[in-house]
Amino acid sequence: MDTLAELAQIARTRPETLKERKAKGIKVVGYIGRFVPEELIYASGAIPYLLCRGGQPEPPDAVIPYMLRFMSPYGRSQIGYHLLGIDPVMPMLDLVVVQCSDCHESRLADLFEYFKLPTMRLGVPQDWEKSLSRDYYYKELARLKEKLEALTGNEITDPKLKASTDSLNKIRDILAKINLLRKKQPPPLGGDDFIRLNHYSFYGDPEPTLSKLNDLYGELQKGKSPFSPDAPRLLMAGHVVGVGDYVVPRLIEDSGGVVVADFLDEGMRHHEWPVKSNGDLMAGLGKSYYLERTPPSLFQPAWEERTAVIKKLVKDFNIDGVIWYQLSFEEVYDLECSVISKAMDEINVPLLKLESSYEYSREAVGPLTTRIESFIETVRQRRS
Amino acid sequence: MAKNVYEDFLRLTGFEEAEMPKYLPEWRKASAKLGLTEEDIKFATEEQLPTYFAVELEGIRKLLGCFVKETIDLTRAGEYKEQGVKIVYGILPAMLHFYYALKLTVPQKVFVSFPDIFLTMVMNGFFHKLAPYLEEAEKTGIPYGCRHCALNKARYAARRLNIIPSPDINWIWGFICDEAPKTDEFISLYHDPEWKTYITRLPHDQPLGTVEDEVIDRVKYLAAQMKDGFEFAQKEIGIKVPEEKIKEVMTFWQRYGAKLDELGKLMTADPQPLGAVSGRLFWEGLFTPFNTGIESMEQALDITLKEVKQRVAKKEGILPAGAPKLLIYSLHPTVPWVAKTFEENGVGIPLSEFFIQTKKQLQPPSFDDPYMAAAEGWLRTSGMVNPGYQAEQICEKLETHKFDGMVFGMMDFDRWLGSSHRLLARMVEDKTGLPVFYIEGDNWDDRDYSLEALRTRIESICEIMKMRKA
Repeated sequence: MDTLAELAQIARTRPETLKERKAKGIKVVGYIGRFVPEELIYASGAIPYLLCRGGQPEPPDAVIPYMLRFMSPYGRSQIGYHLLGIDPVMPMLDLVVVQCSDCHESRLADLFEYFKLPTMRLGVPQDWEKSLSRDYYYKELARLKEKLEALTGNEITDPKLKASTDSLNKIRDILAKINLLRKKQPPPLGGDDFIRLNHYSFYGDPEPTLSKLNDLYGELQKGKSPFSPDAPRLLMAGHVVGVGDYVVPRLIEDSGGVVVADFLDEGMRHHEWPVKSNGDLMAGLGKSYYLERTPPSLFQPAWEERTAVIKKLVKDFNIDGVIWYQLSFEEVYDLECSVISKAMDEINVPLLKLESSYEYSREAVGPLTTRIESFIETVRQRRS
Repeated sequence: MAKNVYEDFLRLTGFEEAEMPKYLPEWRKASAKLGLTEEDIKFATEEQLPTYFAVELEGIRKLLGCFVKETIDLTRAGEYKEQGVKIVYGILPAMLHFYYALKLTVPQKVFVSFPDIFLTMVMNGFFHKLAPYLEEAEKTGIPYGCRHCALNKARYAARRLNIIPSPDINWIWGFICDEAPKTDEFISLYHDPEWKTYITRLPHDQPLGTVEDEVIDRVKYLAAQMKDGFEFAQKEIGIKVPEEKIKEVMTFWQRYGAKLDELGKLMTADPQPLGAVSGRLFWEGLFTPFNTGIESMEQALDITLKEVKQRVAKKEGILPAGAPKLLIYSLHPTVPWVAKTFEENGVGIPLSEFFIQTKKQLQPPSFDDPYMAAAEGWLRTSGMVNPGYQAEQICEKLETHKFDGMVFGMMDFDRWLGSSHRLLARMVEDKTGLPVFYIEGDNWDDRDYSLEALRTRIESICEIMKMRKA
């Protein structure tokens, strides 16, 4: 697994790389959310940087003087590090694109603007099945394209957009292949590593990242599983595991379980849906990002379809139990959890709801570990 | 005793003797359905309403009566449905023109309501007994700990407890928070598959300071969304509403709004002539459709205007002349003790920012098309737009009514309306130099943020204001 460590190192040193590139005149564009296509940013000649940090309690707290405290700690983290003066990338960003698909993101955009960060909001209507809404999102993509062209001085031509689309599709494709390896029992790769792998894929240049992912795929095909053959197979579902928020997946796998599938709205590649790279490329981007992927929890309607997807994952990946990982005060996910929980009850699959405010002190981790261990033990007993 | 309790309640809430034969049995039946005991009715009659509402005024008694009549009517929605009446629900906040237009078109064939608002207003505001509804929701899928909105819990619980029937169409506007529309998706998937919903939404994606009603593409998009939703609702219930009906409602709305503006000016007279809670209920008429009709609300408002004018002329007030006065973001009669505590400590909070209108809002719409006019009106409303524009509107209201400061907060359940208050407080303080305060609390549900919990905070604010003004 040296390749994983190499990818981790590339991701860790990304701020330094960005600084060097910026010194050469290359623009750096931060973005928040799954509806902001990296393809457009690369095609403009800029470098994308996903803002998706989490896992520490101080950054969300730093935002409380400016925002209701009953807001997502994940959302608050995206500016909290900057307010604490410990975000090396934010000060060098030439543009921050914030998708506005929910209240938490829109309020975050308010704060970015209040603190004079170069912000662009990308409107994402939640009533996604209407043509009105689809056209709105497509127009937003066109607006983003113009904004990037103005920022970089480079026209986003079809050949450039096709090149970036093909390049990112290859990354999606190899991640999809790696994901399918998790169907094995025991899997060669756990959820902790797979989530990190997704994260690393956002913080390296596409070509070398692809090469490393291909290497890793080869290694995983040949290598032994680090997990016990009787490890309960778990699905991790919820909003997001932020970059750096690895306590819960690690605890799950340290407690004898293995996360073999995930269902997370943000911070992942959505590798099952390549972007169409012929014909009208902008329409292809819009269709893939807005219409084809499983709708996020915020979309409406969404939960019936999402429940069906989870049930399919349970079947396809031979899941023994579901861990619903939710961040504090994310009101929509909290409601969805009840719906999913009911559906899992109906098919006799146990579900554990975990809620985090990124408080991982020793006092907090103790009870959290006990809950996870008890759940895994229960799942193990049910299976046997 | 039993007979007197119900009769006394109705008399206190402005019912005429001639109305008793009709409404007394209906009120008994409704209160039983709502879970109200004789003790609850007695509490409302002898303690809650006389303490918090100016029941010595005929207009206020009539106003309370409008809410009682509407609540009785709401508990009969199931009967109406059985009789073939089409049930149309909505949620706050929405522009009620469209709901009224449906009602005006076929009054006997349509029932329109935002059921949670009446339940919450009446059950907590009049009886302080919303908790059983909230607890019902909390133990059946809407957990307590996430600070979900009491309105959403009440709507869900009302359906679970069969207070209200499934709607023929529940046309909801997610122009503010995400939780409200998603609650309806929750209800339909978790409890009631017949809970048929259509949503109309608008992304919060305008940069700080954008004057949203002047961004023509945004007005057009919102108008198209409103039209799409209204057409869907009409199709679902098989009723075609002529555009003239929407215009008719808008004309009324403008007239009612102008009267409220007059009441607002009277409320800020020195000395303050009327307690804030009493006046505030009238503003519901701008945001919540009354299936029983808005006419009686307007009549109550006319009487109140006359009575309050007399008080102003005589310099009669609930506070001494010269008392400091604060603009509060939104005062809800569901927690009437908030205003009362301010007033008992010598500070008035006569008006709610969310409800009073700017000069621009009082202007006629720029568009003849009713959807464009409605969209423009929506985007002129401070709570519906970006905080930069909202702060500008708040500053205008502070200046217009000569407030001494402002209180934000009490909206911690709302990830849109409540989440910007700390930022708004900074913006408004920077622009005006006036003192601005923030109270963490919940305007619908006072189980956590009770009078006991907030008394010290309110008293401190009042002391600061009195010292500044001394």
